[in-house]
Amino acid sequence: MHTRRGWFAGVALGLGLLALSCERKSAAPVGTGGASTSTGGPAPKPFLIGVSQSNLGEPYRVQMNADLAREAKAHPELSLVFKDAQNDSLRQRAQVEELVSQGVQLLIISPKEGAPLTAPVAAVYDQGMPVIVLDRRVEGDRFSVFIGPDNRRIGQAAGKWAVSALAGKGKLVELEGLMTSSPARERHDGFWEGVQREQNPGIEVLFSADTQWLEPNARREMESALAAHPHIDLVFAHNDPGAHGAYLAAKAAGREQEMKFIGIDALPQEGVQYVRDGWLDVTFAYSTCAKEAIDTALALRDQRPVPKEIIVGTRRFEAGNVAQGGVPIEGL
Amino acid sequence: MSEPLALRRPRVALRAGQRALLPLLGILLLGAIFNANGAFFRWQTHAALLREVSVYGILACGMTVVIVSGGIDLAVGSLLGLCAVSFALLTLPLGLPAALALVAVLALGAAAGALAGFLIARLQLPPFIVTLALLVFARGLAKQLSGGQKVSTYLQGADGQFSRLAVPELYSQLDARVLGGNLSVVTLVFAACAGLSWVVLQRQRVGRYLYALGGNAQAARLSGVPVRATLCFAYAFSGFCAAVAGICQAAQELQGDPETGAGYELDAIAMVVLGGTRLSGGSGGIGWTVIGVLTLGYLQKVLSLNAFSSELRLMLTGVILVLALLFQRKSTPS
Repeated sequence: MHTRRGWFAGVALGLGLLALSCERKSAAPVGTGGASTSTGGPAPKPFLIGVSQSNLGEPYRVQMNADLAREAKAHPELSLVFKDAQNDSLRQRAQVEELVSQGVQLLIISPKEGAPLTAPVAAVYDQGMPVIVLDRRVEGDRFSVFIGPDNRRIGQAAGKWAVSALAGKGKLVELEGLMTSSPARERHDGFWEGVQREQNPGIEVLFSADTQWLEPNARREMESALAAHPHIDLVFAHNDPGAHGAYLAAKAAGREQEMKFIGIDALPQEGVQYVRDGWLDVTFAYSTCAKEAIDTALALRDQRPVPKEIIVGTRRFEAGNVAQGGVPIEGL
Repeated sequence: MSEPLALRRPRVALRAGQRALLPLLGILLLGAIFNANGAFFRWQTHAALLREVSVYGILACGMTVVIVSGGIDLAVGSLLGLCAVSFALLTLPLGLPAALALVAVLALGAAAGALAGFLIARLQLPPFIVTLALLVFARGLAKQLSGGQKVSTYLQGADGQFSRLAVPELYSQLDARVLGGNLSVVTLVFAACAGLSWVVLQRQRVGRYLYALGGNAQAARLSGVPVRATLCFAYAFSGFCAAVAGICQAAQELQGDPETGAGYELDAIAMVVLGGTRLSGGSGGIGWTVIGVLTLGYLQKVLSLNAFSSELRLMLTGVILVLALLFQRKSTPS
């Protein structure tokens, strides 16, 4: 019994050490400036920024961290400390407090949820530390700046594109993200606002299904749509992996030429490449806002005035403009 | 209770299987009624269904072997993800020959399973906890290996530009259809795994050991069943199946997604139980698991064809699962 317990403790210790080493790795400062904040040496004065990320399970958020690190590299005095809350609001709250006690001078947070993180963010802000809220909002106004893309407007742009591509008439399939998440709902609502159904009664939804953002689910649902409907003009997927699953299903049925595919997100290694490959007709960028975040951080450090809210525009990627990095959409 | 059951095993398994057929028939009948403009009567719908259930089915094959032995394997979904990422990493950015990567990933799956089996058999830790630990660990490792991103056919160079990697033919071969486009290759892989499981359970000595162990572990031990080796084998087999499923998943998605397969273990367990295999072990078999796979698959297909909302789908799936199990138990001779 003793040895068994010993084994178990050993295994537990090993796992714990492993977890610790991972944690340390992800919390390592990026950039050339040291993590120390006390030295008031000659210019450039080091400036430590804490980044609290809600999770690193979504490629979008991994990309956001990578973009932040890349943007910060251009400013050698900036040093970033990353924390991953693993989709847990309470853990994120604790990590915000950790960052403050680590001596960061500015907080960038992409909160898991608005309500539970409003108070911790406000507490940091009330101490006089600038706080940039990225991508998802917190409640109230006790933060410095909110920076984010607008899912509803991206949906509207996709809806307008669909109407013009179909010349106002056609049968479409909508492959939704997780409909209990706000991005999916906003993309859905925005899309149908963009379509303006009263003025375009010829646009007909044949089939819609919740794919939970997952490609295998999108492929499965698309197979059902293909089986139940002999003709489909357009597939609107709430994310590019969903469009990819739909495309694979259509291709397996030999019907991929019959329809157009719309995606959203335009991550450089996903949607943009799909457009480049020629099968994805259009995708709309959901920006990681990293450039705006770092620019704003510098402005806050230098105590320059910044707006309370920055909505980052979207870019449209089509075959004709993908080589030039897409085109910005007017009014967004 | 367990001893007479163990003695009458073949007959009980047969009854369980016959009962397992009834929910499947009921769902097929529902499909025929709610046929979505006749889509249910076209072979392509069924071919698509057979492709969709294959990855789950392959997991269920390994799961059956573990459950027969009286255990449970919660790690299969995560192992699937780890193996999909490993296979994509080895073949795409590293450019290893597909055959070599295939062998390496199958070995990885089997080794991870064997490790779980070792902890369970040798250190007598509960299977639920050991495989739960492996579930968490394998998912973490998959994310670590992939850097949190999907391992895709596009590789970013130092200049930030993306280049397209050559995709080994094995990917398209696995995602192809044969017999005039009427059957997916992954369905054949599922059939092969089911066949292999049948041979293991019914035609090999280790199969008899597994049933004996699941029926009455103490009696099995006393009658000379090599308990540790048998348990190690069961989990290694399940890990092997998870690796096969992971490779099929990567081939079908054309990428290694570190998040893929999350929650699949629960579907696999539900499929095994719907087939009439008892969670307490010692009974059931692979044939009935195949029926369980089809039952859950057809249920999802009928709901999907008719474009039920996801909320309704979840609730209906729950209700129908309970009804199917109740139905099985009701006709159990007391």
